[in-house]
Amino acid sequence: MTYAHRAFIVLWKDVLTERRSKAALNALLFFSLLLLFIFQFTLGGDRERLTAALPGLLWLGFVLSGLVGLGRTFLLERENDCWDGLLLTPGDKSAIYLGKVAGNLLLMLIVEVILLTLFALFFNVDVGRALPALGLVLPLGTIGFAAVGTLFAAMTAHVRAREVLFPVLLLPVVVPVLLGSVRATDAALAGEPLSAVAQWLQLLVAADVIYVVAGLLTFDALLEG
Amino acid sequence: MTADHWGFVLAAYGLAAVALTLYWRHLCRRERELSKMVKASSPRLPRHQA
Amino acid sequence: MSRILGWLAALGLAAGLVMAFGVAPREATQGNVQRIMYLHVPTVLVAYLAFVVVLVASIAYLWRRDPAADRLAHASAEVGVLFTGLTIAAGAIWGKPTWGTWWTWDARLTSVAILFVMYLGYLLLRGMIEDRERGARYAAVVGIVAALDVPLVHFSVYWWRTLHQPPSLLKPGPASMPDGILAALLVNVVSFALLYAYFVAKRVTILRREGEVLA
Repeated sequence: MTYAHRAFIVLWKDVLTERRSKAALNALLFFSLLLLFIFQFTLGGDRERLTAALPGLLWLGFVLSGLVGLGRTFLLERENDCWDGLLLTPGDKSAIYLGKVAGNLLLMLIVEVILLTLFALFFNVDVGRALPALGLVLPLGTIGFAAVGTLFAAMTAHVRAREVLFPVLLLPVVVPVLLGSVRATDAALAGEPLSAVAQWLQLLVAADVIYVVAGLLTFDALLEG
Repeated sequence: MTADHWGFVLAAYGLAAVALTLYWRHLCRRERELSKMVKASSPRLPRHQA
Repeated sequence: MSRILGWLAALGLAAGLVMAFGVAPREATQGNVQRIMYLHVPTVLVAYLAFVVVLVASIAYLWRRDPAADRLAHASAEVGVLFTGLTIAAGAIWGKPTWGTWWTWDARLTSVAILFVMYLGYLLLRGMIEDRERGARYAAVVGIVAALDVPLVHFSVYWWRTLHQPPSLLKPGPASMPDGILAALLVNVVSFALLYAYFVAKRVTILRREGEVLA
C-alpha cells in the first residue's frame, strides 16, 4: 500500500465519518454564524469601521472556528480507544499526519467559504471581484494553520487541560500566517492585484512548506506510546 | 540637553537584579533539597563480614 | 563546573556594570537612559542563543533519545524565557521616557513578545505532562517548531510594522556605534551569556537529580 494511499484512507475515513454524523461541520457552521452576530454586536453599527476591519474579522472568524475544529482532530481516536490503532499502522506514520491535515484543510475551507458568504450577506460587502484572489489566499493561509494545528492537536489530545493548552501553543506559532493572510485578504478585497502583496504570499508559501515538512518529520515521535 | 531619566535606568537594572537573584536563589534551594534527598535515598551498605 | 561558571558570570556582570556606567559615554541623542541598552540588548541576544540551544537539543533528543539532551532543552528554555521576560521589561522601561509609551506594537517588541509566549507555552506543556518520556518527546517537537517559526515571525512582524531602531549590531560592515558603547555592549553580552550558562548548568543538575530521586 503506497504512502499516498494510506494518507488518502485516513482522509476518506474522516470524511465518511463526518458525512454520516455531520457533528463537526454543523457545530462549526453554527459557531460561525454566532461569531458573525457577536462581531456585529460588539463592533456596533459603524459600517465604515466594520468594512475596514473586514479582513481581520474574517480571519478572526476562521481562526476561532479553526481552534474548535482542529482541537478535535484526534478526538474520535482518543474517545473510541482507537489511538493504539494509529500506533500499530505499518509503514511511515507521517501518512496519517498528511491525511489528517488534508481532512482539516477540507473542513476549514468549507467553513471559510460559508463564513465568507455570510459576511458578504450580513455586512453587505461585495466580494465577487475578489473571489479569484481569495481562492488563492484562503487555501495558502489555511494550509499553514492546519499543518501546525494538526501536529499540536496530536500532542494536546493526551493532556488534561487541552482546551487551554491547544490555543496557547498554536496561536503564537501561526502569527506569521495570520499576518500574511490578513494582509493578502485586505489587498484582494480592496481590488488590488496580488502582485502588490507578493512578499506576503511568498511568506505564506514558505510558512506552509516549513510547517508541513516539520509535521511530516516529527509526527512519528508524537505517536509512540 | 535631553533629560537623563536615571529613575528609569535604576528601575530596569533593579528589576533585572531582583528577578535574576530570585531565580538564582530558587535554583540553589532546589539543588540543596535534592542533594539531601539523594543522600537519604542511597542507604549506606553494610560491609560484608569476611 | 557550575561553580566556576558562577564566579566567571559574577565577575563578568561586575565588569559589565563598570563598562555600562563608567566607561561607556553618555549617548548624544537619548542621554543616559540609553544605558538600559546594556541590559536590554544582551538579554535578548542570549535569549536567542538559549532558544537555538533548545532547537539543537530537541533535534538531538528526537534523534538519539538521550535524556541529557532533553534536560538541556528544558533548562535552556526556562532560562531563555526568563531572559526574554527581562528583555521585554527593560525594553518597556526604556520605551516610556524615550517613546512616551510603555508598549507599542512595533516590529521588535512584538516579535519578542511572540517569542516569549511561544516558549512559555513550551514550559506549560512540560508542566502538564506527568510522564517524563512523553513530555520530552512532545516538548522536543514544540521546541523545533517554535525555533523554525522564529525567522517567519521576525519577517512577518517586521514587514507589518517598522518603528524600532534599525539593527545596528547585526548590520554588515563596521558597526555604526562609538567604540565605548560597542565595547560595553560586548562585555555585557559575554557576561550575560556566562550567567545563562551558569543557570543552565545548575538547572540541568537539578533535573538530573530529580530524575534519580523521583524515579
